[in-house]
Amino acid sequence: MAEKKQYSIKHTDKETLARWLKLMLVGRAIDDRAPNYLKQAIGWSYHAPYAGHDGIQLAIGQVFDRENDHLFPYYRDMLTAHSAGITAEELILNGISKDTDVAGGGRHMSNHFAKPEWNIHNTSSCTGNHTQHAAGLARALKKYKFPGVVISSQGESSVSEGYVYEAINGASNERLPVIFVFQDNGYGISVPKADQTANRKVADNFSGFKYLKIYHCNGKDVFDSMNTMAEAKQYVIDHETPVIVQANCIRIHSHSNSDRHELYRDDYELNYVQEYDPLAKFRRLLLRYERFTEEEIEALENEAKEEVKAAHKAAMSAPDPDPDSIHDFVVPEPYISEKYPEGLHQHEGEPKKLIEALNETLKAEFRHNPDTYIWGQDIAYKEKGGIFNVTKGMQQEFGKERVFNAPIAEDYIVGTANGMSRFNDKLRIVVEGAEFADYFWPAMEQLVETSHDYWRTKGQFSPNITIRLASGGYIGGGLYHSQTIEGALTTFPGIRVVYPSYADDAAGLLRTSIRSRGTTLFLEPKALYNAPKTATPIPDDFEVPFGKARIRREGTDLSIITYGNTTPMCVELADQFREEGKAELEVLDLRSLSPLDTEAILRTVKKTGKVLVVHEDKVFGGFGGEVAAWIMEEAFEYLDGPVKRVGSAFTPVGFSRILEKAILPDIKRIESAVSELLKY
Amino acid sequence: MKKTAIIYSFNTKKTAKIAERIKEAFNDDQVEMVNAEDITEEKFLAYDQIIMGVSTWFDGELPNHWDEFVPALEEMDLKGKKIALFGLGDQVGYPENFLDGLGIMAEVLEAQGAELVGFTPVEGYTFERSRARRGDEFLGLAIDYENQGSMNKERVAAWVDQLRKSFN
Ligand SMILES: Cc1cc2nc3c(=O)[nH]c(=O)nc-3n(C[C@H](O)[C@H](O)[C@H](O)COP(=O)(O)O)c2cc1C
Ligand SMILES: Cc1ncc(C[n+]2csc(CCOP(=O)(O)OP(=O)(O)O)c2C)c(N)n1
Repeated sequence: MAEKKQYSIKHTDKETLARWLKLMLVGRAIDDRAPNYLKQAIGWSYHAPYAGHDGIQLAIGQVFDRENDHLFPYYRDMLTAHSAGITAEELILNGISKDTDVAGGGRHMSNHFAKPEWNIHNTSSCTGNHTQHAAGLARALKKYKFPGVVISSQGESSVSEGYVYEAINGASNERLPVIFVFQDNGYGISVPKADQTANRKVADNFSGFKYLKIYHCNGKDVFDSMNTMAEAKQYVIDHETPVIVQANCIRIHSHSNSDRHELYRDDYELNYVQEYDPLAKFRRLLLRYERFTEEEIEALENEAKEEVKAAHKAAMSAPDPDPDSIHDFVVPEPYISEKYPEGLHQHEGEPKKLIEALNETLKAEFRHNPDTYIWGQDIAYKEKGGIFNVTKGMQQEFGKERVFNAPIAEDYIVGTANGMSRFNDKLRIVVEGAEFADYFWPAMEQLVETSHDYWRTKGQFSPNITIRLASGGYIGGGLYHSQTIEGALTTFPGIRVVYPSYADDAAGLLRTSIRSRGTTLFLEPKALYNAPKTATPIPDDFEVPFGKARIRREGTDLSIITYGNTTPMCVELADQFREEGKAELEVLDLRSLSPLDTEAILRTVKKTGKVLVVHEDKVFGGFGGEVAAWIMEEAFEYLDGPVKRVGSAFTPVGFSRILEKAILPDIKRIESAVSELLKY
Repeated sequence: MKKTAIIYSFNTKKTAKIAERIKEAFNDDQVEMVNAEDITEEKFLAYDQIIMGVSTWFDGELPNHWDEFVPALEEMDLKGKKIALFGLGDQVGYPENFLDGLGIMAEVLEAQGAELVGFTPVEGYTFERSRARRGDEFLGLAIDYENQGSMNKERVAAWVDQLRKSFN
């Protein structure tokens, strides 16, 4: 409970009370009316009614200051959104998925209210995952000494998600200005909260966290909610720590239009949640304490009705989204290289190893742009600079504000990158997504979310992140230090995936990734970090555009299309075949998997008529399947034989060197596939 | 005994039952039943000895009929008033907030100068936290219909005996 009572039924000025009541009436009128749109097949097919959360939602919106604060509402936050400034018409435009929906032109679900322009963020449907964006954004506010707080809102049940714990742990550890609001209505759909966690009030699970203040309030009561939210915000500002506000609410209706609460709530309960309607309570208080007459309230009710009617009319005549626009805003336009449009160079000089290329490019980019940041596990402590020393010397040069360790929480690493990049489009964030690509799976949830932010907001927000992952095997690392996961990663529209093999390409692609808007997964073949065979001369300013493959060996008899660890193997084989006069093999290093350089693929197919796709990853389900399928569809008539593939066995990567060798592809296997294919 | 009121919500079933038991235990004519649903400052202040029925709802909250009266109570002078609270709660379902409503009400009344009477020992109840607890006592009578309903009768009887000594 709040200690100070800044607001009360007896003393809050009448104008304020009238404003609140009007917001509540308009919100409720739309909440009550939303199901009609579905009944009439107009839209709003997902509606999670907020009735019963009125007090806290009004309060969240009222304390939110769009000049300085940021708000992450959840799918039940209609009144929050309205109270924060989103108009009735804008609510309906989102509800019925119109092109002019300010959240994102009908691309995201209904009942996901947002207005990125005003710092009311467009959040995922993935319950509570925006807690990490809130923490990341708060990190930016803190670093840039920006006034304001971040408010994140969710239900109590979704606090069970591990990533919510990560967010609160991180916010507490970093002392971030976040208000985490838990709107407790006792249920997660039909599941009573007792099935989520042992404490009745999940906020109390966090009572041992340092630098974290916990407030409880009555979310059904306007004044208690207002006092608590106002005090919580002040507390965050004064103490530079996060807070949790757990607001006791009720869910008057079903979870959403696809739920039927009478299947799991008895009449007693269905009745008392009606009786505790927060709007009715507020109305009673206004009358009881003679702040308003019945006539005055009725006048406001009529005004609200008129407002909603007008909003409805306007929204109904708004334009629908254009089906031809689906490919807009999938991924932002990348940085354009003026000097290296094909990502090729003639530079001669001392060859540099891949690891040096990465380290030096990172440093160069950090010098070039002061709004660059990097974090990850084990990235910087004294003389250590990453598990493979890729970031060595960076903290010394750029300081702890820009180069720092992250907790062992991969989702948090990616989630806060997403969040922090919301502060400002100039920021460029690099993260080591995990110590090894193998440990990136916990971050997949945030990656998926990140992959569609740009599309979902219709271009209003682009997470500008480079996610580096030390990938692949050949180091005797076993099941969890050998995975190469591009097969899964390339299935998501909205993120780029690059996989260089050579030092110069790594430098050039890294520069392009960091300078571009959007998210790029930068996969590093860690077995080649220090390999002399992939060391190359590198121009200081080298750039490799996305979607530009590179011919590493010219040939006329057969094309090997490859990337990552297998590129130098194929190159070695091509050299060997040439020397021995067996055949002229062309080796096309894709460098970039998504976007894919299909023009280069087509050119090489036309040239040789025979294609072998080689990669380290499993043949079954590997990225090569996509390449092969594309060739079959688009270049079939140029083929003289079947498109063949070489990759690893469909097994995990065994730890024993004997097993590893039996599983991962090697030159011998590539050679025999080449020889076979040459016979056609 | 001076004019004494039992104020509780007539819309409740369980709280009302206990109120009736209390009334019976005093001789019926000594106390007046007053509906908390339409309580006003004036009605409340008309009594110097008051028994209030305050159950707990929603994980530690006052029921609306009382919560909505708190702004009025907070500006009343209750010096010279003797008030005894009885509260209904569920110690098994809500062990973290057992009888909190009674505790909240007690705090409000004390802050306005009322003298609270009728405290009872916490012995015999099992719970984790209660705002109604002070030391080894509840700030009133604790009734748990859900889990200890069979003890209501004797708990009420003992409490009324105790109140007779406090009230005059
Ligand atoms: C939704 C709900 C929440 C409750 N919360 C509490 C609580 O926090 N603490 C408690 O001691 N009892 C709690 N109870 C139990 C009630 O106080 C108990 O059922 C009591 O008998 C209700 O009396 P009444 O219906 O006369 O108000 C709760 C009951 C319900 C239905
Ligand atoms: C990660 C994830 N898991 C499951 C769901 C399905 N889902 C949608 S809402 C919901 C219940 C959430 O309950 P709570 O957080 O208490 O919020 P409430 O809806 O009650 O306001 C669930 C399980 C989801 N959207 N996201």
